Amino acid sequence: MSGDGKGPAPGSGAHPDDYKGYREPLLSVLKENGVTVWCIVRAKTTKGVFEGLILPRSETADPYHLVLKLGSGYNVGLRYDTIQSIEKTGYFRAEYRIPEQEFPVDPAKPRVKLFGTGGTIASRLDYRTGAVIPAFSPGELYGSVPELADICNLETEKLFGVFSENMGPEQYLVLAEKIGEAIRAGYDGIVIGHGTDTMHHTAAALSFMVQRPPVPIVMVGSQRSSDRPSSDAAQNLINATWTAAHGPIAEVMVCMFGPTSDRYNLLHRGTRVRKMHSSTRSTFRTIGDIPLAMVENGKLTPLQEGWAPRRDDREVEIHPVFEERVTIAYYYPNMHPDVIDALVEKGYRGIVLAGTGLGHVNRRLYPALERARDAGVLVFMTLQTLWGFVQMYVYETGREILGLGVIPLANMLPEVAYIKLGWALGMHPDDPEKVVELMQTPIAGEITPREPHDGYLVFQGGVPEMKEFLGRIWS
Amino acid sequence: MAETEIHRGGVRPPADFNPRTDPPLDFPDREFGEMTPDDYAALGFMAGLEVHQQLATRGKLFCRCPAGLRTTRVDAEVLRHMRPTLSELGEYDGTALMEFKTRKEIVYLLERGTVCTYEMDDTPPFEIDREAVGIALEICRLLNLDLVTELHVMRKQYLDGSIPTGFQRTAMMGVGGVIPFRVPDLGIDRDLRIRQLSLEEDSCREVSDVGHRIVFRTDRLGVPLTETVTEPEFLTPAELQAGARLVARVARATGKVLRGPGAARQDVNVSVAGGRRIEIKGVPHHRGLPRLVHVEAFRQLNLLRIREELRRRGVTPEMLPDPPQGFAWETSPLVAEVGSLLRRCAFRPVLDAIEEGETVVAVRLPGFAGLLARRTQPGITFSRELADRVRVIACLTGQPFLVHSDLGDYGLGSGPWNQVRKALRAGAEDALVVVWGPRRDADTAAREILIRAREALDGIPAETRQAFPDGTTGFERILPGPDRMYPDTDTPPVAIPDEWVAEISARLPETPWERQARYERMGLSPRAAWELAGAPWADLYDELKPREGEIARRLADALARRIPWAYRRGRLESVIDPSRGVAARSYPYRLPSAQRLAPLVRAVEAGEIEPDALDAALAELLDRPEADAVEILDGFRKRGDEDARLDEVVAEVAARAREELPGRPVEVRLRWAMGRAMASLRGRVPAATVRERLLAALAEETA
Repeated sequence: MSGDGKGPAPGSGAHPDDYKGYREPLLSVLKENGVTVWCIVRAKTTKGVFEGLILPRSETADPYHLVLKLGSGYNVGLRYDTIQSIEKTGYFRAEYRIPEQEFPVDPAKPRVKLFGTGGTIASRLDYRTGAVIPAFSPGELYGSVPELADICNLETEKLFGVFSENMGPEQYLVLAEKIGEAIRAGYDGIVIGHGTDTMHHTAAALSFMVQRPPVPIVMVGSQRSSDRPSSDAAQNLINATWTAAHGPIAEVMVCMFGPTSDRYNLLHRGTRVRKMHSSTRSTFRTIGDIPLAMVENGKLTPLQEGWAPRRDDREVEIHPVFEERVTIAYYYPNMHPDVIDALVEKGYRGIVLAGTGLGHVNRRLYPALERARDAGVLVFMTLQTLWGFVQMYVYETGREILGLGVIPLANMLPEVAYIKLGWALGMHPDDPEKVVELMQTPIAGEITPREPHDGYLVFQGGVPEMKEFLGRIWS
Repeated sequence: MAETEIHRGGVRPPADFNPRTDPPLDFPDREFGEMTPDDYAALGFMAGLEVHQQLATRGKLFCRCPAGLRTTRVDAEVLRHMRPTLSELGEYDGTALMEFKTRKEIVYLLERGTVCTYEMDDTPPFEIDREAVGIALEICRLLNLDLVTELHVMRKQYLDGSIPTGFQRTAMMGVGGVIPFRVPDLGIDRDLRIRQLSLEEDSCREVSDVGHRIVFRTDRLGVPLTETVTEPEFLTPAELQAGARLVARVARATGKVLRGPGAARQDVNVSVAGGRRIEIKGVPHHRGLPRLVHVEAFRQLNLLRIREELRRRGVTPEMLPDPPQGFAWETSPLVAEVGSLLRRCAFRPVLDAIEEGETVVAVRLPGFAGLLARRTQPGITFSRELADRVRVIACLTGQPFLVHSDLGDYGLGSGPWNQVRKALRAGAEDALVVVWGPRRDADTAAREILIRAREALDGIPAETRQAFPDGTTGFERILPGPDRMYPDTDTPPVAIPDEWVAEISARLPETPWERQARYERMGLSPRAAWELAGAPWADLYDELKPREGEIARRLADALARRIPWAYRRGRLESVIDPSRGVAARSYPYRLPSAQRLAPLVRAVEAGEIEPDALDAALAELLDRPEADAVEILDGFRKRGDEDARLDEVVAEVAARAREELPGRPVEVRLRWAMGRAMASLRGRVPAATVRERLLAALAEETA
């Protein structure tokens, strides 16, 4: 905390932040009373007298209320038309600062590079929006997660300051290049801090753009922002960093909570992982397979076989390309053909259909699919069911759709197919046959030859065996 | 403590220090019950309350789970940890850091009917429960608080695990209220100032806390709760109790709060001259409050005496520095690992610890000799202050886990003690503490012992303490400051329109003090009016509409006597549904209906039953709930033959008195005879008349 007790004198060249977030009608009330944000005041209102510190107002909140922080620590709002007078009694400007300490260096420990993209690995509060904004530097991270120093020598680089939903091809390309540089620079592992909403899209993109990496590339985020005591951020970061520094698996992975309890993290292959719940900690699930490994307290337990092992060399293939004119069309009953026609007309070069069942759409679309094929637009089939394989021979519908040139993509997830298609078109912009071949050839586990018996486990609560399981799982 | 100028909340929190800085060190130790108000004034005693009251809403505050259910069923468990985070104003909170040191595994027991993914912090909050806001507004209006016009949901950090998010969502509703505080028995007739009322979500119920694992039930979690904070203006323990009752009455006046075990809990702030505010948390009853704060007042005085003695001996904080990083016994001259010295000591717990591979540590406290055995609370010495910290913060829960040199040779025996003393170069003026546990915990324990010893030089550490049934308290956590509050980014501010407040204000219930005054106007004594205004049967009383004067008085007395009596005899049905645990809108047992009792009151008013008989008739109505009321009342009705009957009874009883109590004084015979005569005349002939006639008859005999 800091405060000189004085602050700017009224009328002496006010700073734009003096009224941060306040609009009319309150702005006039503040100005008439000669007070600004961070003034300690005594506000007389028709409801009574309130004493406290004027805080900035969130710009998304209504313009009618003054926000005061009372001595008790509580914030309260006072409506402008109840305010009779505001008397300034002091000034106190708060500073947000995560305790920063120098990250200790130990030459015996592996070197890990942490790339920041935005997201909520470490964060602080923003008054303006009332939201959480990211904070990021080795020192800040060390200040909030000191355990990291026991794992590795951490270096960080902030690449973007965007929230997950604003990540896209532009960022994928930079990230791929940066990973290539870091690998060639000799880092023993790479961690990427990322918002969770589109983490699986970025994971898929990196899986295709960064091939045969010699070291782990671990994506991590948090479902509960790190400004709260119950956050999953610290455990995620610790396990991700450990995986990057010491783990044996040299693939692009997502490292997030296994169960909702603070127990272990799961490592998911970048092409098979999906965010499956809007808010729970255990939201990331491997679809159609089992996760690669569990990681907990400096111990990694592989669950799968056949992953790419860590190597000592510094070789890696970086393919930073992406054709943006690709899309996903999520089929629904009675979908009209003009939806597909519009995409073709707008110049889209590839469409991933998310079909029903084994890979179906209705007959009404057939003419549009034909027109797409004739226009040279590549159309692929994936599944809304997420689990299972496209199988278009079982029913006549499927056979008809195949006849229209729609290419099945086995058990590739729709979002992964979208990313891969953009990348494949970027790789071979003028060679559709190569694109189709590339799409149907697994590169990073996006198509698996077989689904194990436990690759689909969406348990149902309430049934006796699940009750028993849940009742004793941590006992 | 008394920051009267800023009771509406300045930027600084209300100062935690008692306004008087002169501790009455010579004040004699007195037991509870032996103190006058003047004695408490000499101590500089002052106390305030934070009353937590669960509201009787259908749903919880921020999710749509049902509120007020109670269960011990467990469908699943979740395990979590807590880490301290940055507050809005840029600093870590002291409590938060302490809780982090404890490194607890926190287990939540879930039951599907009472908890959803919101409480488990896996789903963001839903919109705040409007019903709860409405009830809280109503209580605010009854307390004459100044209402805010927009609610801001805040996060109040609790890293003890009692709330899975690590914070309690809470919103300030009103500040700066004043209510009449008139308790005839205690001679109180003044205003009580209410600092604030906030609306918040309730926390978990603790199931167990052993070592590094604490277990909570989640049924109660998220139930809407009001927290009402009074100014620290209670000057005796009895005043504090009366204040707690008054605040509880205000909430109950709405008829929209939960009743029963755990539905209302209070935190008590206490200080004495020279001391500072100590918060005793979660006291579920009013009964034990006075003794609790009495004991705490003397604990503070005793800590101040220890401080005085330490100062006299020249002990300074610099003599008790924190050990540098690394294990304390490797970095501090005040700490030694003494396991190897104690391998052959005679003390079983230490031997067991060594055998199990635990670390045994000794800590030297320079200049503390003898002070660890100083009494702080009844049956408790200063060493408990150290042990409590070690138990809570280092999570040592084995019994015992610590011995000290002020116990004489106790435990280790004189030889081993001497060796420990030598190892730490301790002189006769130093005290030694030996503590054992897992290595990391032993390190934490040694550090905490030094911290607590250093705080002794400051006097009274700012703590929250837990109440024990015997009136003593134990350390719970460091007292949190306002730094642990930061805005909840998940919920938007909620405007409180004037129309809503107006609507609530238009249908406010009668306040407890209005009720108290009304009863006085009906002829009740001030004391009876105060009691009845807070009694669970006050509504029943009003429904019976007794006539002012004698009948109003007698009915109040009879209900106060007979309802608890009937409950003790098992005649009143409990309304605590075992699955709900608490009952809304009523006493925890079913009161008799007004319909059953009204004929009695009407009969007395009509002169058909003597006022004398009201109590006995009420008793019978309650005691025989199955019996026909008309029949019971008929037994008490006058029959028109009262005069003849009176003659008969007086003659008979006077004659028997003569036979059974020959030669005894007239007063003795009268007392005996009244009992006999009233047994058959009660309700039909006024007692005064019987007495007069008997006296005359007995006097005649004597003459």
